[in-house]
Amino acid sequence: MNALEQQTATLSMTETERGVWGDILSQAVTGELIGAMNYQTLSLLYGDAAEKIEALEHAAGEQRHAVMFRRVAASIDFEVRADVDAPYWARVRAAFLNRAAMGDTIGCVIIQEVMLESFAVATYRQIANAAPPIIGETFGAIATEEAEHVGHAVALLRGERARDPEAFDASAHAVHEEVMTTLAEMVAREDRAGHCGLCQGSCVKPSLPLVGLATTELRGSALRQYLLTLDAIGVPGEVSLTWVAGLPV
Amino acid sequence: MSSLDFALIGHMESWSDASAVLGQLRGPSCDPLPEEDLRSIVEWLPPRTICRVTAHSTSGANARGVYIDAFIPPDRLDSRFLRENLGRVIAAAECAKREGAALATLGGFSSILLEGRLDLLPEGISFTTGNTLTVALIVRGIERALSLCGRDLRHASLLIVGATGDIGSACARWFATRVGRLILCGRNRSRLTALERELESQCRVERGTDLRELAARADLVICAAALPGPELLLDSLPASAIVCDAGYPKNVFASAGAIVFFGGLGVVSGGLAMRPDLEGTLNRHPYPHVAHGCLLEGMTLALERRFEAFSRGRGQITPGRVDEIWEIAQRHGIELAPLFNHAGPVESEIVELRERSQS
Repeated sequence: MNALEQQTATLSMTETERGVWGDILSQAVTGELIGAMNYQTLSLLYGDAAEKIEALEHAAGEQRHAVMFRRVAASIDFEVRADVDAPYWARVRAAFLNRAAMGDTIGCVIIQEVMLESFAVATYRQIANAAPPIIGETFGAIATEEAEHVGHAVALLRGERARDPEAFDASAHAVHEEVMTTLAEMVAREDRAGHCGLCQGSCVKPSLPLVGLATTELRGSALRQYLLTLDAIGVPGEVSLTWVAGLPV
Repeated sequence: MSSLDFALIGHMESWSDASAVLGQLRGPSCDPLPEEDLRSIVEWLPPRTICRVTAHSTSGANARGVYIDAFIPPDRLDSRFLRENLGRVIAAAECAKREGAALATLGGFSSILLEGRLDLLPEGISFTTGNTLTVALIVRGIERALSLCGRDLRHASLLIVGATGDIGSACARWFATRVGRLILCGRNRSRLTALERELESQCRVERGTDLRELAARADLVICAAALPGPELLLDSLPASAIVCDAGYPKNVFASAGAIVFFGGLGVVSGGLAMRPDLEGTLNRHPYPHVAHGCLLEGMTLALERRFEAFSRGRGQITPGRVDEIWEIAQRHGIELAPLFNHAGPVESEIVELRERSQS
């Protein structure tokens, strides 16, 4: 997209729409930075050099995504608020660090590549479909890259689960309770825990329909992607459904 | 070698059913979900196993399987959502294959959606529509109702609504040699004519498309298709008529005069075990271990170790096949469920019909 097209796209947005897209981009940038930090931590947990390098490559990839989203925000003349200490994201990062401290590499992979990436893939696709090209193209391209991370996790975790299904499911459930509850609260209809720390002004969720989005669809598609990923890993359907059924709405 | 004997593919019939199932899965510590939230959840759920099922035969045999919900939203069963729902049924069928089931049965609306196109489903697993055992249970239900009220089938005028469908035509063929008069009602005139010609040598047959007019001549009714307006039937039926609602979804409510019972439901006398324990939640009926005939057909065939596409749809069910599946079902203690309807058990009301006619 050239400069003239960017200017035209920006001018055709109302101030409210620009604010909504800006708040969405703030979430996306922060999520990518959390991903970059998680992959860096993972690189310290891996013993194998090739795995360390791959984790660092993924960390660099997530950082690159954050830069891409920042550029999109700049193109609509919006300054994103990126804050990895914002309440929900801080809880996700703390859960990850907790697992890392326990030496639970598999738990860390589940958090980053199953939970966070499933959310990213599904919500980015929804946003890509609703957003004007100046925003949508970047979300679409990054969703495709994030889907590769999910594929990576499925291959690894499927083998891991096959070794001891009961222990794997118990461990995955514990991680689910901690992280998915936080993610579900982020996309719940109302912001029960108070301000997310990233929206500029009031919570963006009630304004999503102004740009063709809805929290129910973002939440629904994210949980659907999460369930499909758990299916691919081999977690029984009735088990994962019970986990998801208990999440906040 | 398959790791499971059967898969039952179904879906929730109402938001109240969805609320009950998801409520139980959420556990007692979570608040019940309001319908608005349920609507925003169910439509996104990918088809999946929601419980493991073990069917116990009275012969001592067991069959192990799964219940897979296609998660068709209960208010999206109409033709506007055909493509979407077909996709859900095919995904549910793929789930049955992933589970390693040798045989899958297509419960509720799933076989109606496919219209006999079993070729759309994955290979390497047998699929049965479950319609043959459904028909067997419908005819046993009619026999039971007539026995309770002391009427003779040979003197009955039996109206079959949805007569040209897979279940309706099978019922017509089964009753043709046993009933006084057969009245066929359907929307497709050419199919009606063909069925009439097939059966007219066996009994007195009438046919038509005007339900109100046909209902006035009947004292016994099988609704093999859900009625767009049940009042068209109920307002025209003679008093003391008996209606077997075997349509899907069931929408004929008892009215003054006519007695309605649900058709096509059976009971696993040897018992059904579910994990998680959704017995009575997934199958909310007044009696335990009751299920729709379509689902029971899968369990019956699995208990008999006959992992085959017994029912293939498209009007191929013969009276001989109905009798055959019934014999198999009986061997394993799969019986007709006590008759009931939306309001609950109904057999005592049918007995009262007999007493009324005698007084």
